[in-house]
Amino acid sequence: MTNQVTLQEKNLQTVSAKQRVVKIIVQVLLYTFLGVMALIIVFPFYWMIISSLKSTVEYRLPVPTLFPREIMWGNYVEAFSAANLGRLFINTVIVGVVSTLLSLVITILSAFAFARLEFKGKNALFAALLATMMIPGELFTITNYITVNNFGWIDTYTVLIVPFLVSIFYIYLLRQNFMQIPNELYLAAKVDGTGDFKYLCKVMIPLSLPTLISITILKMMGAWNSYVWPRLVTKSEEMRLITNGLRDAFTDMSGQANIPVQMAAVAVVSFPLFLVFIFLRKYIMKGVSRSGIKG
Amino acid sequence: MVESKHKWKAWLYLAPAIVLLLIFTVWPIINTLRIAFLDGYNMLGEVGGETYSFGIKNFTDVLDEYSGFKEALVNTLLLTVLTVPLSTFLALLIAVCLNSIKPLQRFLQTVFFLPYVTNSIAIGMVFEAMFNIIGLSPDAVTAESWGIINNILGLFGADPVNWINLNSSYWANMTVMVIYIVWNALPFKILILLGGLQSINKQYYDAAKVDSTPRARVFTKITVPLLSPMLAYVVITGFIGGFKEYSSIVGIFGDDMKAVGTDHSLNTMVGYIYDALGSNEGRASAAALILFVIIFVVTMINLYVSKKKTHY
Amino acid sequence: MKVVLQNLTKVFPSRNKKSGEEVVAVNDFTFEIPDGKLIGLLGPSGCGKSTTLYMISGLQKPTGGQIFFGDDDVTELSAENRGVGLVFQNYALYPHLTVKQNILFPLQNLKGADKLSKQEMLERAFEAAKLVQIDNLMERKPSELSGGQQQRVAIARALVKMPKVLLLDEPLSNLDARLRLQTREEIRRIQKETGITTIFVTHDQEEAMSISDMIVVMKLGVVQQIGAPQDVYDDPTNLFVAKFLGTPPINVFEGEVKAEKLYIGAAAVLDVPGVQDQPVYVGIRPEGFIPNPEGPLTCNLSGVDVMGRDVSLVTTHEASLNPVVRSIVDADAAKNANGITVSYSLKPHKVFLFNKETEERVYFEVK
Repeated sequence: MTNQVTLQEKNLQTVSAKQRVVKIIVQVLLYTFLGVMALIIVFPFYWMIISSLKSTVEYRLPVPTLFPREIMWGNYVEAFSAANLGRLFINTVIVGVVSTLLSLVITILSAFAFARLEFKGKNALFAALLATMMIPGELFTITNYITVNNFGWIDTYTVLIVPFLVSIFYIYLLRQNFMQIPNELYLAAKVDGTGDFKYLCKVMIPLSLPTLISITILKMMGAWNSYVWPRLVTKSEEMRLITNGLRDAFTDMSGQANIPVQMAAVAVVSFPLFLVFIFLRKYIMKGVSRSGIKG
Repeated sequence: MVESKHKWKAWLYLAPAIVLLLIFTVWPIINTLRIAFLDGYNMLGEVGGETYSFGIKNFTDVLDEYSGFKEALVNTLLLTVLTVPLSTFLALLIAVCLNSIKPLQRFLQTVFFLPYVTNSIAIGMVFEAMFNIIGLSPDAVTAESWGIINNILGLFGADPVNWINLNSSYWANMTVMVIYIVWNALPFKILILLGGLQSINKQYYDAAKVDSTPRARVFTKITVPLLSPMLAYVVITGFIGGFKEYSSIVGIFGDDMKAVGTDHSLNTMVGYIYDALGSNEGRASAAALILFVIIFVVTMINLYVSKKKTHY
Repeated sequence: MKVVLQNLTKVFPSRNKKSGEEVVAVNDFTFEIPDGKLIGLLGPSGCGKSTTLYMISGLQKPTGGQIFFGDDDVTELSAENRGVGLVFQNYALYPHLTVKQNILFPLQNLKGADKLSKQEMLERAFEAAKLVQIDNLMERKPSELSGGQQQRVAIARALVKMPKVLLLDEPLSNLDARLRLQTREEIRRIQKETGITTIFVTHDQEEAMSISDMIVVMKLGVVQQIGAPQDVYDDPTNLFVAKFLGTPPINVFEGEVKAEKLYIGAAAVLDVPGVQDQPVYVGIRPEGFIPNPEGPLTCNLSGVDVMGRDVSLVTTHEASLNPVVRSIVDADAAKNANGITVSYSLKPHKVFLFNKETEERVYFEVK
């Protein structure tokens, strides 16, 4: 192998100078692009917050202000009464907490059975359950709507909680986690005379805490964000959840709506989510990257 | 594995889940299939003792000119076809950029994940407010306030657009929805793609560098092929999500699924199914089955293509 | 092309930001690598040998000093513009490309005057493949190859662009023992055939000694000794180098020099003319022992490892710093080594003295 590529032909000084300039330009472009995109991502949140603090008069100015001249906390008070947020907030918390707790119990029990216990048809049953995940939820909603009507559950908390207690996805997630716990631990517990249930509580659950936290967060967020089902199965506004109140209270599209109050309501609904995001981001991201399912 | 003496015990653990699944998952599959083929099925009617004959009338009704299904189908297809490539491309671009910076990487990553943890109805209302024009005159020439988006566009010399108000055009409405859906879809895609990028062995890039590979070639010949499984995943879930689009549109336009004073419906397939609930469950079931078939076929096509295109 | 390293230094900022301590990976490395030679950078892990290699490749920037390729200062040049070939420890073959595409990859990057036609590229790729004897595997994917074959592909990919310098990072560490022997001969052959200045990094002294024209022994970022393998083995400059080279390893004893005589324990084992009185470490190569019933150094025999022509006597000695003292002696000479003890006289040129504080070599005249 001869005729090696020679550097001498090129002027080394220009090459290294050029390479430095290119590097700087690339960095500038990268940060500019990311900065602009980040602004676009954040802008709606910014706009929501500053709008929620403006007076109606200020909001309607032809040239918008980027920060409220006078901060109108009153918008939030008004939002609470306009959208009946207080009552709906309580509803949502009740539904969220109860359904999360029950759902956790059911998920843990089934995941344990699938991960550690032996019984006939285990794998076939699990595969069948996973297959149902492919079916769009709307298909279930139709019959479930009929079913809960027949049960006479309309306008109760039960109807908001029970139909969605079992999530095959959560069972799958937790089973995977349980399976990673070495089987030797289970056998050792058996030898020591520890019962299945005690083993589940003392070993499996503590070791799977991060997954359980992920499930809890996703489930709570699900209740907080649910819109379609509560609207279908509740007749009275008092039984609806917070997102329903939000949309239903402000449907005036004539352009005359009191947008600052509306934005205050939106901010109230968004605020707990921000808290969750700030403190529990890690768990959400972990859960999300394994799922691809929103909420 | 230890042989448990009490095999029935496993079923005890599973009992709560199985009871609920039988009622709310298994029965719906059977029943929805059943009522989709009962002509003109109606819930209250059945309770009242009415009987229905087996047939495909629900399906023909759905596909009927006036049922609004075609509009919903077109809207859904358009939204999906527009938003999936756009959001995937943007997410890929952002993820690649994020992956090649050092300072502020964690911070920006957090910022880009922000829209994931939001209520799509609530933020839809914020988008509504941003695009909303206040006090638009009937001739659409003057307004009290053109809204922040038009104001920003004005800075670049653009004329204000009637995005979502009285007499706004279909494509203006569509644009707003596409922007919102893309905005909403970015965080999940960025998260997955960035995770994929970070799991690519750095040495491939070092090897490419030693071999004087131009940036563009590194991207097309190394990054994209090695990222292809993640890209496929993001596209497939994107398509499935796109076909089920509903609540983000409610967020912007309300339950009516249309801009005030306009004739064109912005309804989607899922919206169509919900609209039929409470009056015509047979038709809702038929539409749900059609949706299922469409999603299934599209997913299969996606999987087939990605199997051919992705490496490993 | 010769490669010159001048006061090359690399300091990494500490991982723990609070303590603010810096890690000096390579400290003041100066060395001129002659054109067309095969150089082994040798040292235990964390000695800075890989960092040195990466600085030569341009993937890492030195914090001080300069690198010259020929007469050109390339210190500021990034890896893209250096024209080196680099073989990674785990090969870094693109998993989605076939062997042929992998080898063609660097050629397709050539621009301007260097640009090749498709035909030329293929010819060059096959030429490189033939050189490493993988021209029959061109359509396979890397995952379908054995470790040794992947290694060859990686070398072919590095060679195909005819680099000025070829760099190999632990080229044999991922291969099994048999392949390792075979591959190192292969590397030697390829280097000879191409005449490309080649620098490789290894922690295996045997590997480095067997194929290098010159070896560089490093420890904690500091170069300990540079030289031809045999010279370094025969004449180590300090205790570290003496201990690092050689299998079985050198035997180290505590000793003392009194009146130009070397004492191990109470026995005066060797005359060391010209050495002042001082406590020393005594390094004795396994082949430096001559079994001799009258010999001054007596060890307790604990076993005999038969190796064919030679045998290795495994003994113990209370002044030894190693758990055992190992000598390699002629099989015939060891025939009468069946007692409880064995006595040796020593070959003076196989005995090295080191200062006890600095561990630097203390020289004496060998008669």
